[in-house]
Amino acid sequence: MRLIYLAILSITCAAAQGVTQKLLTNPAPDSWPGYHGDYSGRRHSNLTQITPENAGGLQLAWAYQTNQTNALKCSPLLVDGVLYITVPDNVWAVDARSGHMIWKYTYPANKGFHIGSRGVAMYGNWLYFMTPDAHLISLNASDGKVRWDIPVADSKKGYWTTMTPMVVRNHVIVGVSGDFDNLTGFLRSVDPETGKTQWKWDATPPAGTPNASTGGMTWMTGTYDPDLNLIYWGTGNPTPVLRGKSRPGDDLYTCSIVALNPDNGKLNWAFQPSPHDTHDWDAVETPVLVDGDFHGQQRKMLMQTSRNGYFFVLDRTNGKSLLTTTFGPTNWAKGVDAKGQPIPNPDKDPAPDGRLIAPDEGGMTNYRSPSFDPKTGLFLVDAHPSYGIYFAKPSDGEFGWAGADYGVWGKAVLEAIDYRTGKIKWSHELGPNGSGAGVLTTDSGVLFTGDNGGNVIAMSTADGKTLWHAGEGAGMQSSPIAYELDGREYIVTSAGSVMFAWTLPRKQ
Amino acid sequence: MLMPLTRWLLLATVLPLFGQAPKLAAAPATFFPPALVEAGKEQFTQACAFCHGRDAAGGEEGPDLTRSKLVTDDVNGNLIGPVVRNGRADHGMPAFNVSQKELDSLAAFIHTQKSFMESQKGGRRGVDVSDLQTGNLEAGKAYFNGTGKCYTCHSSTGDLGDIAKRFEGLKLMERMLYPRGAKATATVTMPSGETATGTVFYRDEFTIAITEKSGRHRSWFTDLVKVSISDPAQAHVDLLAKYSDDDIHNLMAYLQTLK
Repeated sequence: MRLIYLAILSITCAAAQGVTQKLLTNPAPDSWPGYHGDYSGRRHSNLTQITPENAGGLQLAWAYQTNQTNALKCSPLLVDGVLYITVPDNVWAVDARSGHMIWKYTYPANKGFHIGSRGVAMYGNWLYFMTPDAHLISLNASDGKVRWDIPVADSKKGYWTTMTPMVVRNHVIVGVSGDFDNLTGFLRSVDPETGKTQWKWDATPPAGTPNASTGGMTWMTGTYDPDLNLIYWGTGNPTPVLRGKSRPGDDLYTCSIVALNPDNGKLNWAFQPSPHDTHDWDAVETPVLVDGDFHGQQRKMLMQTSRNGYFFVLDRTNGKSLLTTTFGPTNWAKGVDAKGQPIPNPDKDPAPDGRLIAPDEGGMTNYRSPSFDPKTGLFLVDAHPSYGIYFAKPSDGEFGWAGADYGVWGKAVLEAIDYRTGKIKWSHELGPNGSGAGVLTTDSGVLFTGDNGGNVIAMSTADGKTLWHAGEGAGMQSSPIAYELDGREYIVTSAGSVMFAWTLPRKQ
Repeated sequence: MLMPLTRWLLLATVLPLFGQAPKLAAAPATFFPPALVEAGKEQFTQACAFCHGRDAAGGEEGPDLTRSKLVTDDVNGNLIGPVVRNGRADHGMPAFNVSQKELDSLAAFIHTQKSFMESQKGGRRGVDVSDLQTGNLEAGKAYFNGTGKCYTCHSSTGDLGDIAKRFEGLKLMERMLYPRGAKATATVTMPSGETATGTVFYRDEFTIAITEKSGRHRSWFTDLVKVSISDPAQAHVDLLAKYSDDDIHNLMAYLQTLK
């Protein structure tokens, strides 16, 4: 009796607890409490029920139809048996066992860019959701009711938001988007209870500063090292985007990976994947944190497959380069400098008569997550070998886009990069144009991603061999997650406006 | 409010009577009621501007709609509508679920932007035909008949004899670099030894589908058959890694003479 009582009590407590700092640092198997799962950005699950041997038997547990025009681009959260998913202006709470809706929240009609929503963050029993007109909304996770609603940037100036905030202790850290005006990118930390600003870090000087760049938008979720107490964040391209004459020099801190103290927003170090970018290659791709051996020395590393086509391995204690290499065709750099940063070739700046550039503007990879598999030491990324043609001329002006570019050709390939050498261990072709799907690895050596044809595919992480697939009817524009409920492992993927949960048959 | 609306209704009624939309140079600036244009602008900002630019003159990879042939030929959304509602999957454009009213306003905004951009004499942003005249004709001809090996598939007096009549400017350059939509041919050998040949309709790791000459659609699981693909456009892909930017401009100079 007493035991049953205790069990009920502990379930009740767990349910009421929501997301704690402990859970964010060390997620339980029955949770996916942050954008990347844990803070490391490896998008790796410790679950082992689905193996290379049995993955062929995966089947649909349920599908959730959002009935929206906007495709799902979010990474769902899973907390206390409830999934939280989003598209612009909309949040759903969905029962993770049945796929039934618990509640839906719709933000009022607004004039912001409705380009995407990457999901919600959670702290305690409160959700944090960002809107096309650059507001941060705190919702009650139990019923979707609004607790508070604050603007984090002025949407009338051209800011919008799509990203999932990151929670570190009592900080809700949010970033912004805005490429069509000359605006300063920034990170803002707000109080999870009140929404009051705690600190703000500007990536670039204020608009109008002579010979300086604006931009450096912070439109993806960063990662966090609790031991070093540093958050790692990628920043976006400079503005004006394609014409760089008015912003000579490196344009710090655009197209950069920055390490900040989450308590005060102070910059600890910065590394710039694309100095003086003129091709829209945001360096916002996940800064993946890996602890391990690098040529005989134990290291705290940060790895990024950057949109510009380069793979970087850094020492994340100080931002120093350990390895710089490419993971597909690139033709825009003259070489790599002593700091490990590519040196842009001015002959490959956009020009009135066009310049053929590899990769294209969408880049060698984009915002969907890569994954790091600790057992094999492989960094798995959805790559897009591609060419684009870039134009810019004086009449394009010095504001916002300031030029034009067009994709010429591209294809989709999953690349498995050995982080120690930067060499590609295996490649798996995923179709023409591009896939855009994120990657998830699990501890049993299985990875999940999508191809250009709308298939979700399970592969063996060690060699890229296909284990299972299912047609989802549309391309995957999000990154898969994994969790365990009632002793069963689930993989959740999305395609178009539908969310799918995959699992093995229940044991009879 | 009444005056402009009447004027717009008049134009909307009169335009279709002319059948084919008039040529670009002669196009009269169609007038749309400001409220309709404003509504279209709001919609465009929310759903289209990221790719096509807030001014519809190009953004992140989306084409410049103010120079689009489809927009030039469009009358009150009759061509824009199907593209918006069906999307262009092969170009990465999603389908949008829009009402007739929303479509009317979107078309009004796009046409108004087109008229506005065309009035920007001399200082217009985007890619003009005149921007793409920096190449050397003789060098381009030599590349076509030499290093580029273009002659192995094409002929300046045959298939490309009037290429400059069919395409110009950016469209010609894009087509030259990679002929998007060019069909590959597949020959499928079944376990029985029977073969089938047709243009590739769909192909991924698991399925191959072709359209036979008769128009018949056929598909197979790739692990049950042998598939051999002939894709002439691959030669264009192979050149991408070899071109210098001068090669491209020189080739453009040469192709523009083939009328």
